Formats: sequence, C-alpha cells, structure tokens
Amino acid sequence: MSGNKGKSLAVFLIFAVILVGMLIAGMWEKNWSFLAVTILFAALTFLYLDFERGSVSSREIGLIAVLGTMAAVARVPFAALPNIQPTTFMVIVSGFVFGPRAGFMVGSTAAVVSNFFLGQGPWTPWQMLAWGLAGITAGVVRTFRPRIGSAGMVLFCFTWGYLFGWIMNLWFWTAFIHPLNWKSFLAAYAASFWFDTLHALGNAGFYLVFGSRIIKVLERFQKKLKFTLVENTNG
Amino acid sequence: MALFEIENLTYFYPESDAPALENINLRIEEGELLLIAGGSGSGKSSLARLLAGLIPGFYGGKLAGRVLFRGKKLSELGPRLLNTQVGIVFQDPEQQLVMTTVEAEIAFGLENLGLPQGEMFRRLSEVMSFLGLTSLKQEFTANLSGGQKQKVALAAVLAMNPRVLILDEPTSQLDPLAADEFFHLVERLNKEMGYTVVLIEQRLERCFHLADRLAVMEKGKILRSGPVKEVARWEVENSLPFIPPVAKFFATLRIPSLPLTVKEGRKELKRLYSGLPALRKDQPRHHHLLPVQETRQGPGVVELKNVWFTYPNGKEALKGVTLRVNKGEFAVVIGENAAGKSTLLKQMVGILKPGRGRVLVMGKDTRTLSLPELARHVGYLAQNPNTCLFQDTVEEELRFILDNLGLEDGGMIDAVLKKLGIIQYRKTNPRDLSSGERQRVALAALLVAKPTLLILDEPTRGIDYRLKKDLGCFLAGLAKEGLTVVMVTHDMEFAAEYAERIIMMFDGRIVSDGSKHEVLGDSLFYAPQMTRLFKDFAEGVLTVREGIEKISANGDFGPCLATKGSL
Amino acid sequence: MLDRLFYEDKGVLLQNLHSVTILGYLAVLFALALLFSHPLYLAGIFLISALAVVTAEVLEKWEFYLKAGLWMALLIMVINPLVFHAGKTILWRSPTLPLLGNVSICLEAICYGAAMGIRLLAVLTIFCLAAAVVHPDKFLSLFSRFAYKSALVVSLATRMLPAAARDLANAREMLQLRGVDYGAGNLKERLKKYSWLLDLLLLSSLEGALQIAEAMQARAFGTGPRSCYRRELRRPRDLLCFTACCFALVFSCYAKAKGYGDYNYYPQLGVLVPHPASLILLGIILGSLALPLVLNWGWKHWPYLRSKI
Repeated sequence: MSGNKGKSLAVFLIFAVILVGMLIAGMWEKNWSFLAVTILFAALTFLYLDFERGSVSSREIGLIAVLGTMAAVARVPFAALPNIQPTTFMVIVSGFVFGPRAGFMVGSTAAVVSNFFLGQGPWTPWQMLAWGLAGITAGVVRTFRPRIGSAGMVLFCFTWGYLFGWIMNLWFWTAFIHPLNWKSFLAAYAASFWFDTLHALGNAGFYLVFGSRIIKVLERFQKKLKFTLVENTNG
Repeated sequence: MALFEIENLTYFYPESDAPALENINLRIEEGELLLIAGGSGSGKSSLARLLAGLIPGFYGGKLAGRVLFRGKKLSELGPRLLNTQVGIVFQDPEQQLVMTTVEAEIAFGLENLGLPQGEMFRRLSEVMSFLGLTSLKQEFTANLSGGQKQKVALAAVLAMNPRVLILDEPTSQLDPLAADEFFHLVERLNKEMGYTVVLIEQRLERCFHLADRLAVMEKGKILRSGPVKEVARWEVENSLPFIPPVAKFFATLRIPSLPLTVKEGRKELKRLYSGLPALRKDQPRHHHLLPVQETRQGPGVVELKNVWFTYPNGKEALKGVTLRVNKGEFAVVIGENAAGKSTLLKQMVGILKPGRGRVLVMGKDTRTLSLPELARHVGYLAQNPNTCLFQDTVEEELRFILDNLGLEDGGMIDAVLKKLGIIQYRKTNPRDLSSGERQRVALAALLVAKPTLLILDEPTRGIDYRLKKDLGCFLAGLAKEGLTVVMVTHDMEFAAEYAERIIMMFDGRIVSDGSKHEVLGDSLFYAPQMTRLFKDFAEGVLTVREGIEKISANGDFGPCLATKGSL
Repeated sequence: MLDRLFYEDKGVLLQNLHSVTILGYLAVLFALALLFSHPLYLAGIFLISALAVVTAEVLEKWEFYLKAGLWMALLIMVINPLVFHAGKTILWRSPTLPLLGNVSICLEAICYGAAMGIRLLAVLTIFCLAAAVVHPDKFLSLFSRFAYKSALVVSLATRMLPAAARDLANAREMLQLRGVDYGAGNLKERLKKYSWLLDLLLLSSLEGALQIAEAMQARAFGTGPRSCYRRELRRPRDLLCFTACCFALVFSCYAKAKGYGDYNYYPQLGVLVPHPASLILLGIILGSLALPLVLNWGWKHWPYLRSKI
C-alpha cells in the first residue's frame, strides 16, 4: 500500500506547487480576484485535508451527512419569507455541539450538495467556505466559552448573517470592481445590506425559538455516537 | 458441523436492563433457508445483527454465550473476514445506500475490502447481469424505486461474495409486485446458487413455502424452531398469529399433509370436495363504474363529484372520479402503484384541490375550506408515523393538535389513550416506543380532535400480524361507532378481514366499488389467498374463518368446527 | 426543486469525456476568464463557453444563470463608475451629492464595468457548463482517490437530499393537517412553525444516521486499507481534448507574458489591438478551446468519427 501513499503524496505535492504558483502569479500581477480564488482554494484544501487526516467512525460520517442534508434541505424557501433560511443556523448548532471539524464539514457539504440540485456556480466554493467557517467558529466558541448562554449565541447567529453576506460579496468585489478600496467595498456591501440583515434576523430568530431545543436533541444524540465497550461475560 | 451455532446467548443493548436476546440456542445448516417470524420487538432484528456481527461490533452492549461460524468464534474472525462471509440486507431501502450511482454503490463494499481493480470489475459485471441492473448502471440511486433500491442493496452485498445472506424484513417497505420479485431472487439464490439464507419476514404468505425451517421468536427468545409444517401446526395449537392463511386453514383442519401453497391446497381441497364442481359459465357481474351512491342511503361524509386532477409535472392522476363514502363506513382503496390511490386520499383531506369537479367534506367544498378548518373534520395518518411525532411526551403530542385547533381537553386525552391501550406511556417520549406503539400514538393524536372522517395511507405497511389484527379490530370498532374510515392498503388479507367496502383503482379511475365480497371475491389477481384457494369450489370465501365455515357446511368435514374457537 | 439533480444525461460528447479531461477543460476556461482583462480576450472566452453551452444542449438551464448574471452585471456597471473617477474622459459631472460628494462619470470606468460584466457572464456560463456536463458522481469519484472520507460524506448527503426534500414536504402537509397555519402570525410565530418542521425532520433523520452507519459497517467500511474502483475509460477523444487544453494554456501564458491579454482601462483607454500578433494568438487560443466543441458536433452527426474517437 506504500505505492498508494506515494501516489497521494505526489498528488498533494503537485497540488501544493500549483497553489504556490498561483499565489505568486496573483501577487506579482496584482490580480486580486485570482489571488482571492487561490486563497479560497488553499483554505478549503487545508480544511478538507484536516478532516481526511483525522479518524472518523462510520457513525460520525453518517451523522455529518445527515446534518449536511438537513442544512441543505433548509434552503427550500418557506412561506414567503425572503432570505430567511435556517441553513446557517443549522450549521452553527452542528458546529457548536459536534465541534469545529464536524461544523466545517456540515457547512461545506450543505453548500456543495444543495448546489448539485440548484446549480453550481462561482458562489459554491465561497458558500462552502462561508458556511464551513460558521461551523468552525461555532465549535471554537464552544471550546473557549462553553457556557456562552442563549444571549451570546443569538448575537453570534445574528453576526453570522452579516459575515456570511460579506464573505459571499468578496468574490464579487475582488473580481469585478476596480479599484479595491473602502469606498468600493462599502458600495458593494451596501447593495446587499437588506438582504444580509434579513439573514441575520432570521438566524437570531431561529436561535431564539429553537436553539436550546435543537441543541438538546443533538446532545442527546451525541451520546449514541460513543461506542460502548463489550463485556463478554463468558467464553 | 453446522454453519452457525449459537449457544446460550443472551444480549443486552447498552444502557438497557431488559435483554434483547435471551438464552438463544440455534443451529443454522449450510444451504438451508431459515425463516424467522415473530412480532415487532421480538428480537428478530437483533438476531439478524448478531449473525452479521453488528452485535456487538457496531452496537456494543453486554453479551453472554457464544456464536460460532463454522466452528470458529465470530469475534475471532475479524471484521473483514466476517464481512466477506456474511452479508446483510436491511429493512429500509432509504437507509442503506451510500453512493450516488448504482455502479459506485455496488463497488463501495469491494473498495472497502481493498480488492484490486480487475477483481472489482469482474464481480460488478457478474452481479449486475445476474440481477438485471446493467441498464441502471449510471442511474442516480436516489431516483430508484423502493424495489430497485433493495435490489441494488442485495447486489452490493452479493458482490462481496458472502456465503450467508441475512435478510432483515427486506420487503416490508415494498409494494407487493416488487416484494414478489425480491422473493423470486431469494429463491433462486437459495435453490440454484446454494446460498444459505436467513430470512426475517412479516409477509409470510409470500415466503412461507420457500423456507426449510421456521423459527418463531417472542420477547427475545426463540419459542420454537424446526421444519416449517411442524412449527406451523404448533403455532395453530398455541394460537400464535405468525402463519399465512392457507397454512393456517389446513393446520386448523388438522390435515396431515399441511399444504402451504395455493397449488398444493387446491389439490387437497379437490380430495375433500371429491373433485371439482361441475363447469359453470362465468357470469359477468355488473360493476358499478358510475354512481354507487344511488344505491346507498345516509348522508355522505365525503363526496367526490367527477374529480379530475393533474399534477404540475403534467401527470394526470385522477380521471373523473365519482365517489361517496357514508357515515360509519370502513372503505379500503386498493390498486397498483401510481393508480391514484394516494392522490385520492389527498383530495379527501384537502391537501390537493381538484382541477375539475368538486370534493365535498361534510357537505362543504374543500376549495372553500382552509387546511386548519378541514383538520377539524378530517384526521390523516401518513405512511410513516415518524413524520408526525416530535413532542417530548405522548401527552404533549395529543395536546399539540388540541391547541392548534383551539379545542379543550375535557378528558379526551385520557379517554383516547385508554382506548388505544397506551395510557401507561402518557409521559414517555414517543421516540422511545416501538413502531406499533408509535403508530397508535399518531392515531391517538388524530382521534383526540374527534374527527368525523379518518384517512390512513398504508397503515399496514411493515407491521406484523398481531399489530395488523389489533389495528383492524380497532378501525372496524371506530367505524361501528359512527366514524368514517378510508384507507389505502396493498394488503389484501387485511382488506378481506376487516373492511366492508373495497374501492379498486386503476390508472386514475375507479374500476370496481362495492362490498368486499363483490370486489375481492370476483377479482382475478387481487383476490386474497383463501379466495384463490376456493376458486370454483365455493364462492364468498375471503378469510380462513369463512373457509372453515364453508367446508364445515359441506358436511364432509365436521370435526373442524371444534377448533373454530381458537381463531 | 431539490428532488431532481441539475445534471441531466443528454448523451453529448462533453458528458462522455474522462473526468480529468472535462474538469481540465473547464478549469482552463475558468482560469483564463480570471487571468485576462483584455475585452476581446474576455469576449472570446465568453463566446467559447456560450458555444459549449449550446453544444451541450442546456440552453434552458443557461437562462437561469443569465438571469442571475445580468442583474449582477448591471450592479458592476453601476458601481464601477460610481467609485472610480480618475479616468481622463469625463462624460458627466454631478452636482455635490450627500455622502458621495462630487461624482464624475468617466468613459474608462464604464468600459471597465462592461468588460467585467462580460467576465462575469463568462464565469457564470462556465459554471453552468460544468454543472450540466459533469455528473456529481464523476466529480466525487475523482476526489475520492485522495479524500475519500469527504467524498463519501458528500455523496451520502447527495443521495439523501431528494428523500429529505420529500420528507420536508410531507412533514409540512402533516402539520397543516394538524391545524398549523403557516401563513398566519408574526415573524416569531412563523419561525416557530418552521422550527417544528425542522424538529420533525431532524428527529427522523438522526435515526437514519445510525442505520446508514450500520449499513456501511456491514459492508466492511473502515476494516482496513481500501482500494478505488475506476470505471472511466480513456479514449482518443480525451487525448485530443486534453492536448488542445494544454495548447490553449501554453499560448495563453505566452499572451499574458507578452501583455496581449491585458488592457489598460485607466487612466485612459489603451489601444485595443497593439500588435497583430495579439489577434493571432487569440485566434490560436480560441481555436484550440473550440476543438472539443467541433468534436462534439462531429461525434453527433458523423458516426464514422464516433467510431474513431
């Protein structure tokens, strides 16, 4: 199996060389959109590699896939409420309960999978990163502030409504606007302000009405992830 | 040496005080087909998981006793060897496929075994040809029908080249046609390919005759195991319900040869009746394609008047359906898949509104009523009771609907829970109950709002004989009290036993509508087993009880009357 | 909406290429759309990708992308002139506006905005093409070679999504039939009703997670080193298309190094064609990128070619 390992190392190296090359080209050319895309792909690669290197049980894979599906299906619009979708909220609670790594996988999976049905676009990798980061940060919040409390989490969810929109605007801003300065940044972001505000309100609202309940459900399930050792009483 | 030997095995799931398997002793011989029957929660599935090594490999828990596979302890085989020797197909086709195409799905297990490319390719091609899956090779697994999904799951297991196949209620979620096809495959695999098969099933009428041996389980114990006919006789003596109609009929009559299939049974009947009756011309009966209601009196609870319906995707699902169901009727809708049965129910509930024609519930047009308004009159139980239970306790589940409809409790919750025999679970989380109990909770949540019309979409799917009997008696009782019950089922034995009216649909139209004896007694292929058995011998036989009555009236066979009480 | 894959099998050549070839082709198109800033080069890339969409027979799907794209392109063309005023050719100078101050609209910024609009449309078209000709399974099987756990998670979720979408619709109906009116109430009440749906769905799918895990374990998942099933065939067409891609990439790098791919919008619009070589190079690049499309056409209309490639 060492041949296989060598092969994947080679693939990894080639990939790394391409990435570094793209980075240098982007910086040298001052082509910011190219640079932004490169950094995006580097970040995603790093995060996925981290998941690959960790050990995961079949139960965890099943769980992450199910949560990712849930977050993806939550993109279906509901009862004429524009941009109020619980996807971000689902990703955040997943990350909060199951940790940064699972949070990232749930968020990025939701993005890529829902787009297999809705249509992939240049937005897909950015959504993967944005939702992935939402999951990661939620997990990190849990490690540093385990007793963050409901108010803190509502604020956290609210903030991610804007952060998500800002990350999504990055590709638009870097690729199509010149020059890249505060003024153009603000202009690009002003265009999506109401959209992002609705998203933020929706996130906060979902956490308020449903947050503690869903965390309870997920935590109850978390116990089932652990494997109880066998006691074989005889022979 | 037997293939499997289980000795004094007792098993507890983690954090459980009651044993899931208790003192199991079982030998499974090479090449046999062992059928395991029993109610839900009897430990059948746990036994399947034990044989496949998932207990304790996946579940953990406490285990005492031992399981030997060809003389070696299961735990010493190691997971990889075990997985190549024993394959398992599970109940739910939705929850066992992992990849996006059929080909990748079948390859998944082989990849996990680390097989070389050439070997994988050969096995895949053979398995796909054998099961006729080649044309589906590139198909998206989520788009397959339930029957196809189970076939792919079987293919994926077969590709791993196991010696034993464990099938854990593989057809419980399939329609009868797909189930038959699956059983044919199982028969071929066992008879022609020599696989050892352990089959766990509820639909015994379709597989009873395939088995070499039968084991009956209850409360984690094996009550009895042995040759099928012997166990069948024993079951009838002990009034256990896990036995299909034909076998039950002959076992009740104490016929020594105990026929298991309609073919064998008719031979036996010929002997009893001393030959076939004289040839008669079939009288084509007048079928009520149009207004049945003229012949029926009483106020219509739900009425469809020339209803046409086309789905947004262009599929015309109802084509001029006219139907009236009266107060206190128990009507069953039958028909093949996509015949429009579920669409019909959804029209009655008001989820769908007719394209042309009118649907009246309690005399009011559904188009003028909102769903919450309709919810006061109509209770609807979906196929899977899991999709409607989400509160923390059974009581809250019932209170939820009362609150939504703005109704007062007034002792209704207690009354309904008592009536369904689940009052002891009042404070239990519905998710911790068995599937049969969950269904009762879902039913209770509907009845608490005192609907006048109860609509059920395939409530018999995947439940065992005993639960079916309870459900049937309960629904028939409700109808007697004046509630109107309309349900869809594929289970003709159930319809024959409990319904009074049968509505047969085909391609969006009602093709036959009348009392169960009119519709089922006359049916070519929807006829229940007993009707097929008695065809040309006697008319009007749908159930075992009716068969026994008929044959006792024949005079030649008096002694069986004595055993009638045990039915 | 979520119950049918975006990908549909149309039986065109682009769907029948090796995954490395088709992904390479798309990646080259995408990279070029980002690298070039010359309007002619951008228009060329857009043209090729539009032709590819036509040959892939997915015009109706392209419409969805174009609708989204036009809106964004408009935004680009408005924002660019608003934020950049240093162009030399001032077309219009506004009176002093609150917040924005003196806004001067210059020709250069409008041209830049237009070029960027084309870039955006090109990028969207390339993604539309990718979504229409690459089956998710092709994509995932490629990734499963070096990231099989992630690929497994994604394929599992893809497989489960249509069922989840159906379950959601069913749960929604079930709650309506238990007296829940989604249209009524203020935002908080509506969110609450929505959260019941999520609750229902979550509870039933979490049980499914364990069953799936069990099914994976029963099929030897995680029992040791695994291998990878490769089912794709390499045909002459893959070699042809791949070579064409490399060709296009090499010449693009050359054009970029020579500065032909770039264009000075500011402070004053540069010369569109500084040297005839710039056009020749563009022709070569577009020609090689068009090769798969020509093959696609021939493959469809000429059985002889089909048997040869």
